[in-house]
Amino acid sequence: MKRIFTRISVLAAFCLLTINVAFAQNITIKGKVIDGGDKTPLPGVTILVKGTQTGTQTDVNGGYSISAPANATLVFNFVGYTALEQAVNNQTTLNVSLASSTQQLEQVVVVGYGTQRKIDVTGSVASVKGEDISKQISTNPVGALQGKVAGVSITNTGTPGGSPTITIRGTGTIYGKTVPLYVVDGVWYDDINFLNPSDIANISILKDASAQSIYGIRAANGVVLVTTNKGKKGDAVINYNGTVGFQKVTNKVEMANASEYATAVNEAYALQTPAVAPLFSNTNLGEGTNWYDVVLRDALITNHQLSVSGGSEKSTYNLSLGYLDQDGIVKNNNYKRYTARLSNDFQIFKPLKIGYNVTAASSKSKDAPSSIFRALYAASPVVPVFNADGTYGDPNAFNLGNGSNMNPQATLDFFNQQTTKYKVTGNIFAELKFLKDFTFKTSFGGDFSQDEVRGYIPVYKASNTQQNTNSKLDIDRVENRNWIIENTLTYDKKWNDHSLTVLVGQTAQRNKMYTINADALNVPYSSEGDLYLALGDASTRNVTDLGELSTFASYFGRFNYSYKNRYLLNASIRRDGASQFYGTNNLWGNFPSIGAGWVISNEEFMKDQKIFSNLKLRGSWGKVGNAGVPINPTVLRVDQSPGYIAFFNGIPYTGASINSFVPPTLYWERSAGTDIGLEMGFLNNRLTIETDYYNRKTEQSIFDIPILGNTGAETPTLIANQADIQNRGFEFSATWADKTDGGFTYSISGNVGMNENKVINVTSGANPIYRGGAGLTSGYLSTRTVNNRPIGEFYGYQVEGVFQTDAEAAAWPGFKRGDFKYADTNGDGVIDLRDRVVLGNPNPKFTYGVNTNFAYKNFDLTLDIQGVADVSVYNANLGNRFGNENFTKDFINNRWTGAGTSNTYSSADLAGGLNNAPNSFYVEKGDYIRLRNIQLGYTLPSAISSKMKMQRLRVFANAQNALNIFGYKGFSPEVGGAPTNAGIDTNVYPLFATYNFGVNVTF
Amino acid sequence: MKKNINIQSCVIAAALGAMLFTASCKKEFLNVPPQGQQPSATFWQNQDDALKGVNAIYANLRSWNNVAFNAIAIESTGSDEADKGSTPTDATFFNLYDQFTVTATHGTLQDFWTGQYQNINLCNQVLDNVPNINMDAALKARYLAEAKFIRAYSYFRLVRAYGRVPLRLTVPKENTEFNIPQAEKAAVYAQIEKDLTESAAVLPQSYGSADLGRATKGAALGMKAKVAMYQNKWADVLALTNQVMGLGYDLFPDFEKGFRTQNENNIESLFEVQAELLQSNADASNSQYSQVQGVAGVMGWGFNTPSEALANAFEPGDPRRDATILFKGETTPQGDLVPTTVPNERYNQKSYVPFATRVSGFNEGAQQNFRVLRFADVLLINAEAANELGNPSQALTSLNRVRARARGGNNNILPNVTTTDKDALRQAIWKERQVELAMENDRYFDVIRQGRAATVFGPKGWKANKNEVWPIPQNEIDLSGGLLKQNPGY
Repeated sequence: MKRIFTRISVLAAFCLLTINVAFAQNITIKGKVIDGGDKTPLPGVTILVKGTQTGTQTDVNGGYSISAPANATLVFNFVGYTALEQAVNNQTTLNVSLASSTQQLEQVVVVGYGTQRKIDVTGSVASVKGEDISKQISTNPVGALQGKVAGVSITNTGTPGGSPTITIRGTGTIYGKTVPLYVVDGVWYDDINFLNPSDIANISILKDASAQSIYGIRAANGVVLVTTNKGKKGDAVINYNGTVGFQKVTNKVEMANASEYATAVNEAYALQTPAVAPLFSNTNLGEGTNWYDVVLRDALITNHQLSVSGGSEKSTYNLSLGYLDQDGIVKNNNYKRYTARLSNDFQIFKPLKIGYNVTAASSKSKDAPSSIFRALYAASPVVPVFNADGTYGDPNAFNLGNGSNMNPQATLDFFNQQTTKYKVTGNIFAELKFLKDFTFKTSFGGDFSQDEVRGYIPVYKASNTQQNTNSKLDIDRVENRNWIIENTLTYDKKWNDHSLTVLVGQTAQRNKMYTINADALNVPYSSEGDLYLALGDASTRNVTDLGELSTFASYFGRFNYSYKNRYLLNASIRRDGASQFYGTNNLWGNFPSIGAGWVISNEEFMKDQKIFSNLKLRGSWGKVGNAGVPINPTVLRVDQSPGYIAFFNGIPYTGASINSFVPPTLYWERSAGTDIGLEMGFLNNRLTIETDYYNRKTEQSIFDIPILGNTGAETPTLIANQADIQNRGFEFSATWADKTDGGFTYSISGNVGMNENKVINVTSGANPIYRGGAGLTSGYLSTRTVNNRPIGEFYGYQVEGVFQTDAEAAAWPGFKRGDFKYADTNGDGVIDLRDRVVLGNPNPKFTYGVNTNFAYKNFDLTLDIQGVADVSVYNANLGNRFGNENFTKDFINNRWTGAGTSNTYSSADLAGGLNNAPNSFYVEKGDYIRLRNIQLGYTLPSAISSKMKMQRLRVFANAQNALNIFGYKGFSPEVGGAPTNAGIDTNVYPLFATYNFGVNVTF
Repeated sequence: MKKNINIQSCVIAAALGAMLFTASCKKEFLNVPPQGQQPSATFWQNQDDALKGVNAIYANLRSWNNVAFNAIAIESTGSDEADKGSTPTDATFFNLYDQFTVTATHGTLQDFWTGQYQNINLCNQVLDNVPNINMDAALKARYLAEAKFIRAYSYFRLVRAYGRVPLRLTVPKENTEFNIPQAEKAAVYAQIEKDLTESAAVLPQSYGSADLGRATKGAALGMKAKVAMYQNKWADVLALTNQVMGLGYDLFPDFEKGFRTQNENNIESLFEVQAELLQSNADASNSQYSQVQGVAGVMGWGFNTPSEALANAFEPGDPRRDATILFKGETTPQGDLVPTTVPNERYNQKSYVPFATRVSGFNEGAQQNFRVLRFADVLLINAEAANELGNPSQALTSLNRVRARARGGNNNILPNVTTTDKDALRQAIWKERQVELAMENDRYFDVIRQGRAATVFGPKGWKANKNEVWPIPQNEIDLSGGLLKQNPGY
């Protein structure tokens, strides 16, 4: 079996060179390679017969077999370990143990445009192994990073196919893109949703400005470098990973039942001025409908991954296929993703290597209605799902008013939206080594994708408010056509005690986005084949489009120097030009960095001490830019939007005008960061500790500040370089890894990041910027951004109590019994927006994680815990009212119902007066701690698996998010959102746990 | 080995070549114009641009800020004719305007304000730029006159709502022009009258069907008459209304049918905000005037509902009562049954669009025009002016013309008013205004103008020397750095 695949692999890799090794006295040597420290088998170790091109690689169990002359010497090579040469001396069994080079500080990390020995790095770079990512059974590679790296905060969305948001060392921009730059094998992306997590060999996160600045233009939100799996020399290795499992909602919020709801609504009506007759003459309505139970379900998830990799002397290959089929927890919702990835490289002749990586991904999603969770929350329990006659229960029949006048079952039944995505992306590269120390590398990468959302609303009538008289087909299509060329020249030289690497490079890239939206009415639907705009009424067809084009040109250089492995100096500069700023004098920006390190443990005077196996102090400074800002912000445009179409005698006529103001000039949004780090290793590096202090300042941040409404601007704001933002913090991570004599191997690592976010200078001066969603929080703005405070703090009234009687409320115009009593902070006797105070901060202060691995004999256990602390969430669900939306059980149980009943919860008249204006009642602690991942695996003894023609067979059970602990009264404190609108919970995806069973097989 | 070196040199040369190539074309490479967005420098070049600029002004009049919640809160809710509507717990902010507890920080004050200045900016764009365009002179003059008319209308709404407001007559360009102080009320009124005088001099009496709905001479004169009435310039009012009455306007025979979409821009109409439901374009079908007032849960949201006081204000048998108010359980002349399960007793029938016109995904009743100025209003203004100037017979003629139409041929109702006593006649005219113009956003400021708001709205909380105007938006004062001053009492 193995041999057959070897042959195939050789063919597949187009390796035309035959390997001729024919010595008469060749013997077959077998053995096992293990880690000298924890004695675990090392798969993937390259073994070469010294002085020849003959070689092989160890399998997953560290085993190998090679044919070599009896007097040969074998060279064992593995990244992160010290190379070892071992004479054969006629032995047919040769077991070796490799010493981890962490002791020698030979560990290598991926940095911008190359790799560096960990010892030489002077910035803050975190590395996560592919294995740690694939163990998460996460559908998205970014989601798998949650809790893994200090200072990296990840908010999952829950939506199948959705991308989590990732914030590296705090929010440093308001208006620009907040996503980090992802570089996958040299190609730049905004999102790596298309990647199959198990294709990832390594993720490197560049956290500080000095490490990032080589990517100047786009690095301000951090850089995530992804290296995918490559084939290794040796026989074909076939891997299959499969999981099947289900997802179950956890932490469901209990809602009021029908009787409780009717009672509360009547109470609210009685509290109106003048009092309104009760809506429900009978409030004894029993449990009624639990809408969450009607619409949510336990959902299946299946995942299959198959990869083949291997290589010969002159070429390697890796092919992987992935299939994910995930049901959403909302009925009818389903997401399927297909991925294929192929990488090949060829050593054309000795100094020249060429190769390519290509990924094809496609996904198809049957979407869930976008605001279904809000609808479930609002839906009234008195409305039946279906009436006795089979028609939909109609909220209007109960006179419930706006906001709760939808039957979520009908919403779901008549919702037909499908999202399909196609993407082909990858790069081709050539790498040339010449004049001994030089390497020239050129890479051309492309990214072509098409996303299509197709929605169809049939003709239906569920009720007066849920009906459709003309069917409608909507097709929105987005195309991206991006390319990037990168050329780098590296000079790498070591002499005596000196080590020097110099890099110069140049890149150019072009990103084009084109969107076309079309719709038509009265499209029939007998099958999917009807869903063409051409079948709709000609007079109703409507097409619009929009596009974006940006280009970048850049030059960069870097040098890394170390002396005696003790003194390190790194410096880089990047010069970027961006088309966004074309037409200004600020087309180009320069992004320098410098870093220095001192490896104290390598000093002579440290030779005899036994405490530190590693001690390194490093410091760095760098500048980065954020090009993810609006394109051509200084160009004043003509607005020809549909709102300006005038009608005369019923006929539309195009209208256009100028309705905005632009700044005369703009500068790059830049951020400058300092990082000081200390790395320590104790007890032969069984205990390692890394700690960092950083201070990052975004200068001239581009965002929109409010301007006078009487200027007549359509949106009374002005975009410009208006603020400086500071993120300061500490990071700490420690790992303890060891192995007992009894064969118990384990590692425990913990990390914690503390960040403090602050706007330190804003041109709006004392005038705050209010945001946070009109429409989200009943038309009131709930966040404030102002000098010397964090971005987007919750801002509103401070609840002092609840008015127990009308007499008590009489002094306050507009208030009555049962209303929240607010602090009159300015003491003017009136409660209005001038009395608002800071209520909380949506930017988490602490993020932390604990990650553990245990292995004993054939069993292995992984247990990861993750959490955030010192953060606030705005629970906008309860106060967001337009009519008679439902209440939570918690509110029902604690509400004010008369004098003396509550001094913390208001009456059921939540929409009355200022009760649903942003106030401290709705701001809750968003801290949580979660059992992110737990996995128990069992590897069959190789004696058994080899009988089944397998190298390795492992079965495992996995649970993700099985346990979540938080005090927040909503579904999930993991809310997210754009800066200045973050942390407002209105329609958040409920938390769910995923339970999987899986198998890993290697042939 | 030699071969290798050769290949090596070739590759290096090619690579360096590639680098130089990309480097050399960088200038063009980075020159990317905005995509699909016209830079302003290429606008205001020709007659077509001028037309588009004027069209945008008209279109903006149907925007949310101009006809929906914000206009209702500022121009209607405070009156005795309208209640908040919808369910008691929906959009309770209207109560701030109904009970006069609003303070300067409330957002609606800002939004109505901003909405009017958005109109004004679009007018100023035309007035600043169109004069420089080389185009048909007559058309150019008309476009400028149209812009002046709407600028005047917007300032009239502002001065009624806020009193002293910044008077912007050009688009701000220099830094110093962005933040300007308020003008005195008199100065604002003077500018409104100037704009209306200038536009009336140019605007045509009527348009061909392709331009039906644009501002006319009659609209400018009628608006000027109303503006003059708000300043008690009775001689001007009388002269202007007399002039309008000579322009061929007449009352539409059927009061109820005059408000249906098929009778828009009829013989009675001086100016309407033009709106349409365009099935190929939901974004252009953006008027929410009818939707926010439509029968709740059936044809809209059910706000700004006629009050019981209004229902009781009509004389016995006045058909206008049934034409103005959609009662719960009634069947409309168009055959729609208002269900008995709706949350309110009454809805505005003047904004009513038959239920069958509903198209999912579009605002209900997006096709309904908002009637800004009708000939009936002009007649009543004429009557009031004539009475104030001691000419009761002309006053009675105009007043009774309005009543005669309302009568609809039924001589048993709405007898002619005959009193010539100045005070009694004034009361009769005011009463007629209440019922004739009910639910058309006229009543609130009309009663304040009449100087009896403390009596009429006092029970709801209205206070003299304060509530004549709403507060200046606090945010606007803050952003002006204190240059703008708050109205007294707030």
